[in-house]
Amino acid sequence: MFMLKNPILSSIKTQRTSSRLFTTNKRLLQSPAKGQEILVKQRAVRPISPHLTIYEPQITWYLSSVHRVSGVILGALFFGVSIGYGINKLYDFGLNDDSLVEFYKNKVPTWLDYTAKGSVAYLFAFHFANGIRHLVWDMGKGFSLKGIYVGGYSVLGVCAVAGTYLFSKGF
Amino acid sequence: MFGFKSAASRSSFLLKNNSTKNLLLKANSNSLRHFTIPFLPTLPQNPGGVKGSVNDNLPKTKIDKFHASYHWNFEKVLAVGLIPLVSMSLMNGGSISTFIDLGLSYTLLMHCYVGFQSCITDYIPKRVYGTWHNKAMYALTFGTLLSIIGIYDMNFNQKNSGSVGLTTKLWGAKSEKSEEKA
Repeated sequence: MFMLKNPILSSIKTQRTSSRLFTTNKRLLQSPAKGQEILVKQRAVRPISPHLTIYEPQITWYLSSVHRVSGVILGALFFGVSIGYGINKLYDFGLNDDSLVEFYKNKVPTWLDYTAKGSVAYLFAFHFANGIRHLVWDMGKGFSLKGIYVGGYSVLGVCAVAGTYLFSKGF
Repeated sequence: MFGFKSAASRSSFLLKNNSTKNLLLKANSNSLRHFTIPFLPTLPQNPGGVKGSVNDNLPKTKIDKFHASYHWNFEKVLAVGLIPLVSMSLMNGGSISTFIDLGLSYTLLMHCYVGFQSCITDYIPKRVYGTWHNKAMYALTFGTLLSIIGIYDMNFNQKNSGSVGLTTKLWGAKSEKSEEKA
């Protein structure tokens, strides 16, 4: 009853002889395989989310990457030395504390000595302090924006003081 | 009807358009990683990084007891345990007992192992590097086994004085030399 009163629908009814209100264009119907092909082609031109480089450097996320990089550098050093001792245990090539210290004394140039001790001192101080900061976060504390900034600057301060102290001990 | 028609015409437009075709021929610019390790071969990626059709079920995740919270707890125990061990050896100026040195070295080794594992998971993922992910993991485990032997040797060999002792010696190596010269 309602449909017959609608002027648009009644006009369609008078114009078209088809018993169906809507028809599909058979030419445009496609098989699932063809549809999948189109979908894959469209996926290839979809935009991708940008990488870290678009973000402004901020202490909130920079310290996190420095933490990982410092951990990897210190870890690689630790692995290097202990693997050296491990191989020496299996195939004795005369590596021990004295020979290593002797090598460091005589063969390592001054610039490398400064670079190595400086990076180890500051990166170790940073990783230690920031590790404690991470553990504090793990307890669910200091998660406000202010807390993160306060923690970040304190870690940088501790790193500067403790790192300089450790560095100065080497000379 | 209207929606279907427009979608179909849009997709045919995509395929007819020349610049789009070129983009397709260049292949999957949107599934490439921004940074890859140059000397490792990468696997070909699906367009847009998506696999399968829209009707596929989500694959069931495998349950692994050593992941998730157990793994996390283990990491935290190692990290918390390192705090007293490291501060103790720093405050004593490098003179600590073999027992504490052993504890420190092996805890540090486990800490490094877990940390390097998560780095491999993040930067050498199986999806991109395939078998090289496993190779990296095996290399890490093999290196750690050598480290276990090495740390044992550092502490129980008469000529060595533990990892903390070695660090102290190396830290002062150059200053002794300058004192001798002066």
